[in-house]
Amino acid sequence: MTVVAVDRERGVALCSNDEGARSTVETALVEPVAPGDRLLVHAGTAIVLLTEQGDVAE
Amino acid sequence: MKFVDEFRDPELGRALAGEILALVEPGRHYKVMEVCGGHTHSIYKYGVDDLLPANVELVHGPGCPVCVIPMGRVDDGIAIAQQEGVIFTCFGDMMRVPGSDGTLLEAKAAGADIRMVYSPLDALRIAKQNPDREVVFFAIGFETTAPSTALTLKRARAEGLTNFSCMCSHVTIVPPLRALLESPDLRLDGFIGPGHVSTIVGARPFEFIPADYGKPVAIAGFEPLDILQAIVMVLRQITEGRCEVENQYKRVVPYEGNLRALEVMAEVFELRPHFEWRGLGFISHSGLKLSEAYADLDAELRFSVPGVRVADPKACQCGEVLKGVIKPWECKVFGSACTPERPIGTCMVSSEGACAAYYNYGRFAREREVV
Repeated sequence: MTVVAVDRERGVALCSNDEGARSTVETALVEPVAPGDRLLVHAGTAIVLLTEQGDVAE
Repeated sequence: MKFVDEFRDPELGRALAGEILALVEPGRHYKVMEVCGGHTHSIYKYGVDDLLPANVELVHGPGCPVCVIPMGRVDDGIAIAQQEGVIFTCFGDMMRVPGSDGTLLEAKAAGADIRMVYSPLDALRIAKQNPDREVVFFAIGFETTAPSTALTLKRARAEGLTNFSCMCSHVTIVPPLRALLESPDLRLDGFIGPGHVSTIVGARPFEFIPADYGKPVAIAGFEPLDILQAIVMVLRQITEGRCEVENQYKRVVPYEGNLRALEVMAEVFELRPHFEWRGLGFISHSGLKLSEAYADLDAELRFSVPGVRVADPKACQCGEVLKGVIKPWECKVFGSACTPERPIGTCMVSSEGACAAYYNYGRFAREREVV
């Protein structure tokens, strides 16, 4: 999903999937996130911040 | 679509299939287990197995979170849901898993307030909206889903919500793999490691497979090229006499996992001494319960539950399917008495279940049927 807006106080982000459907996502495991970031989301929680370069940061 | 299209390229798929063909020794049979139900689904959705030589067999593992929940746990969930003032919440797939006397969906039809949620956060929101009701979340899944539940329980604690609790049925992936490797029923040559579980736990927990059992592992993503490449990696290790954990899914899986997720899980959960798995029986230290610090949010302590072990229906062979001992079409009731519309066993319920994957993609027998 793509981050649309971030609510830092609540630790959540409004995200959009590839069809445009939006939902609130828990971001505590991948913070900090910013609008435009791509996240792998599982059960409403972002578990990976995806990078354009390919491999995730170790 | 970024991160998707490039992993579905037919030309690259054919090239990887050619590599697999070149790696296998004629006359030798290779059995490779894909641990995760998501892989099973992708293999049949994209026809990955049609690209493999006949002597490379994919064996389906126990990594479907819905499939491994035993009937007794469903009965416990229904017992809580039927109590006065309770709103019981769970993921959609769980609604259709049969207990000994019906499903959560049937209990809902009979009047219980059972609601489907997309995430534990949805359940928490329902609790906030209904302060005069007790809201219970039926938490299932492997390490991929457990952090989500843990974060939600931390939120409930931080926000002082007292009408929210969790029936924790989370499980861990390593103990059943060890049980399978110890099983005399099954001879495997290698593993396609679970992609999303590994985003949380990393690759290190799977090192016991090459170290203790001499089997190669390739952690893989869920697109067809991911799976084909992981098969190449496993076969290449066998051919070269190597045996290690390789990470095909580097774009998502860090070798050390998600340390923040592991930390929050360690705070909120602790291992149960034993947990019952459908078809696999009781496996030591394979299930999670809430830690003492979060015991006040444990639905099994807040409500009375039967806690009775219920044997699977005799006709159902989910146990053998989950252990990879039989293929779904070899089960006596597959596609006849047991279908996705009227499932008898859990493997036919979830889209990640091997039986559902076979049924939905036309594998009613050894050969594919046109649907």
